[in-house]
Amino acid sequence: MNFFIVLRKELMEQWRTKRLLVILAVMAIFGLISPLLAKLTPDLLKSIPDMPAGLADLIPEPTLTDAVLQYVKNLEQFGILLALLMSMGSVAQEKERGTAAMMLTHPLSRAAFLLAKFAALAVTFTLSLTVAALACWYYTLLLFEALPWDSFLALNGLMLVGFFVYIAATILCSTLVRSQGAAAGLAFGALVLIAGIGSLPRIGTYFPGQLFNWGVGLALGAADPAWPALWVSLGLIVTFLGIAWLVFRRQEL
Amino acid sequence: MPFADFQQYIPFLIPVVIIQLILMIAALVDLLRREKTRGPKWLWALIIVLVNYIGPIIYFVAGRQDA
Repeated sequence: MNFFIVLRKELMEQWRTKRLLVILAVMAIFGLISPLLAKLTPDLLKSIPDMPAGLADLIPEPTLTDAVLQYVKNLEQFGILLALLMSMGSVAQEKERGTAAMMLTHPLSRAAFLLAKFAALAVTFTLSLTVAALACWYYTLLLFEALPWDSFLALNGLMLVGFFVYIAATILCSTLVRSQGAAAGLAFGALVLIAGIGSLPRIGTYFPGQLFNWGVGLALGAADPAWPALWVSLGLIVTFLGIAWLVFRRQEL
Repeated sequence: MPFADFQQYIPFLIPVVIIQLILMIAALVDLLRREKTRGPKWLWALIIVLVNYIGPIIYFVAGRQDA
C-alpha cells in the first residue's frame, strides 16, 4: 500500500468524521465576519448611550488596516486551536482503537503512515484557509477597498506555514502518548511553549508567531520580512515529523 | 449610528447564518445516526440547537464516541 492510497483514505476520513466541515466552517465564518466586525465596531462603540461627546469623536473611522488585523487575529487564534483539536487524535486514536496495528499489517511503511496523516490535515487546512481568504477579500472589497491580491496571498501562505507547525507538533504529541486526551494536553503545553518563547523580544523573531506579523505587514504594504522565522518554521515542521517517525518506528502497537 | 444604518449590513450576515445552519444540520444528522454519545443524547441535541455556532463544534469535538 503506498502513500497516495493512505492519503486518499485519510482525506475520506476527514470528510466522514466532519473534520473538514468544522475547519471549513470556522475559517469561512471568520473570513466573512472579520472585515464586517472591523467596519462595525467603531459605530457600535459610538452607539453606546451616554457616551461623552468628545470621546465618540476620538474613535477613529475603520480602515483597511483594521480589516486585515481582525482577519489575522481571528484566524491565528482559531486556526491554531483547530490545528490542535483536529490533529490530537491523528495517531493516538488509531492506537487506542487498534486500527493503527491493522493498517500497518499491510506493507505500509510507518513513515508513509505519518506523512499521510500530516498531508491530509495540510490539504484540509489549505482548502479551508483558501475559502476564508476569498471570503475576507470579497467582504473587504465590498466594505472597504480592494486588498492587493498578491500580498494578501502571501499573508495567507505565511499563516498556513504557521498552522503547519502546530499540526506537526500535535502529530508528534499524538505519537508520543496512547490517548487523545493526553495528546491534547501535551500539544497544549507545546503550543504555550512555542507561543511563550515566540513572544520574547529577541528570540521571538525566529519563531512561527512572527510569520503572522510579517503577513500583516505584507498585506498592508509595510513589509518587515522575517525570513529566519520562515526557515525556522519549516525546520520545526520537518523536525517534529522526524522525531514522530523515530518514535513511532519503534513503538509497539 | 441609528438602527436603520445597521440594517444595510444585514445582508452581509446571510452567508454566516447559512454556514451556521449547515453545521447545525450536519451535527443533528450525526447525532441521530450515532448509537452512543458521551453523555445523554437529548442534552447534545439541546446544545447543538441552542448554543449558536459553537454548539455543533463542541459536539463534533467532544460529544462523539465510537460505537
